[in-house]
Amino acid sequence: MERELLLLWIAIGTYVLCGTIAIFAVILGKRPERTVLGLLVVGLLLHGGSILLRWLRLDHGPYLTMFEILSSNVFSLLLFYAIAYWRYRPIRPTAAIIMPLMFVMMAWLVLSSPGEGHLPPTYDTTWLVIHILFGKVFLGSVLVAVGMAGIIMLRHFNIATEKLARLPENHRLDDLAYRFMALGLIFDTLMLIAGAIWAQDAWGRYWAWDPLETWSFLTWLTMAIALHLRVTYRPLPLRGAVMVMTVFVLAFLTFFGVPFISTAPHQGAV
Amino acid sequence: MMLSMAQHAAKTIGHGPLWLQRLASLKVTLLLLLLLVTGVTAYYFNGRQGQLLLATPLLLLTVNLLAAIVVHPRFRHHPPLLVFHLALLALLGLVTIGRLTYLEGQVEVTSGGAFPGTLHHNNAGPLHDWRLGQVQFRLEQFSIDYDIGGNRGKTRCLVHWLDEEGRRRQGTVGDHHPLVLHGYRFYTTHNKGFAADFLWHPESGEAEQGTVHFPAYPGHKHRQAMEWQPPGYNERLWTQLDFDETIIDPEEPSQFRPPREHHLIVRYGEHRHELRPGERLALPGGTLEYRGLTTWMGFKVRSDWTMPWLLAAVLVAVLSLGWHYWRKFASKPWLEEESN
Repeated sequence: MERELLLLWIAIGTYVLCGTIAIFAVILGKRPERTVLGLLVVGLLLHGGSILLRWLRLDHGPYLTMFEILSSNVFSLLLFYAIAYWRYRPIRPTAAIIMPLMFVMMAWLVLSSPGEGHLPPTYDTTWLVIHILFGKVFLGSVLVAVGMAGIIMLRHFNIATEKLARLPENHRLDDLAYRFMALGLIFDTLMLIAGAIWAQDAWGRYWAWDPLETWSFLTWLTMAIALHLRVTYRPLPLRGAVMVMTVFVLAFLTFFGVPFISTAPHQGAV
Repeated sequence: MMLSMAQHAAKTIGHGPLWLQRLASLKVTLLLLLLLVTGVTAYYFNGRQGQLLLATPLLLLTVNLLAAIVVHPRFRHHPPLLVFHLALLALLGLVTIGRLTYLEGQVEVTSGGAFPGTLHHNNAGPLHDWRLGQVQFRLEQFSIDYDIGGNRGKTRCLVHWLDEEGRRRQGTVGDHHPLVLHGYRFYTTHNKGFAADFLWHPESGEAEQGTVHFPAYPGHKHRQAMEWQPPGYNERLWTQLDFDETIIDPEEPSQFRPPREHHLIVRYGEHRHELRPGERLALPGGTLEYRGLTTWMGFKVRSDWTMPWLLAAVLVAVLSLGWHYWRKFASKPWLEEESN
């Protein structure tokens, strides 16, 4: 366990260094993009090693305790963002928006107890792993869209407008955010389908309006409304950004807030 | 800038009479989606009561979607979008049919005993065709592992059943593996306990066998008592299971099983008796023979023939949505547009 935690702390230190450089790069108008990407990859490798060691030790994936869920989500979100960062060069300064969000999750992770949880028999199924993987792609897609939405909002409120000038125009950011939201909707739908199959096998019902299911469905509906609004009204980038933020907040509360109020067996974190 | 109303109207007008076009409006879709969000939220905070809160917006969305498919030329020009919305319609239709024909309930089956053919609690749609009488299975025995800390592990039930061709089959069911017979799915649950096996010998006539299921264990470990009435006996008996043994030891791995030593306390009126396996108790009208202690397993029963079709419809929906977005975005790659 000590080796796992050591790797995790070094990974978090690397992420913090990476995020700090990304933020100061925007403030100072510098472009240390290769350094940021390199540090992100090193952090992910160390973090992936920590998760793998824990998986081998406990013989189950990182989806039981809040510590495991936070750790695997920090990893998956940063992995997804690293791919977007590498692939979409023009939006790399969005790291200054994304990394502080990730710092909050990392702080929560550091404060969580790394103790072991008990794997209930209902969690011992491949469908749970598939359900979780789809959920991670969904949240990762929305996170990348949040990066673009954050830039649009900063520009609207005239915050660091000059520093953000080298980023694409708002309507271009809005278009890319829309694409990631569409990807998010598909993976959110797949997550709900895989979750329903798991629930049918585990509890004999595919849908029971338990708190996590209800809030996941509300997130899905909000996403559908956001995309429908876009097709119907072609709103300004700022309104698109507000919709992205709304979906992200709802999804975040569903993933990490509902487990605290739910007494149903389908809790997210147990 | 948002499109003006006139621009929007010009954009959305399709075929058909004006009332149908209004019904098919995307603005109406948005309003109905917001109504559905409100309905789901109200349903959730109302303790999941009031299905009209969900049914009303879903019904209105179905009408709006049907009208949109008829009216908007966009659907004819974009086959994936059409397939996606048709799949959504199929999904809504199947959910409705499912709610009319489903059955869900619970039943407790004694180890070594047969499924009684009826459920203890059930909810069924008005059009459910009751076929439970055709279901025949026997629970031979079951085992449940417990880990250190008293955490429940795997459940395995050895079951014999007659399949739909009347052949005798045997298998193990448990977590993630329900017993499926005549369209009914029997799922094991965490609900299980001890059962006292009795034989009632009336003063005249044949002896009758019966079991008393004590409350679930270990959930109600301190309330192992049950009131019941033997067949042909006028009074109710109060029976308590008494044992000192620790069945599920949190200090070490264990299995759920009946205690090795126990006795029953039977009360009727002012009388109190203790019974051990094989002992008899003379009562007015007959004799009660206690044959021994066994276990019972609680099953959740569900029947919904729409499930595989729902899965098919939702998979078609998500694949066609992916196809639609792929066509839309691949025709104008963001990076290429950006570099131009």
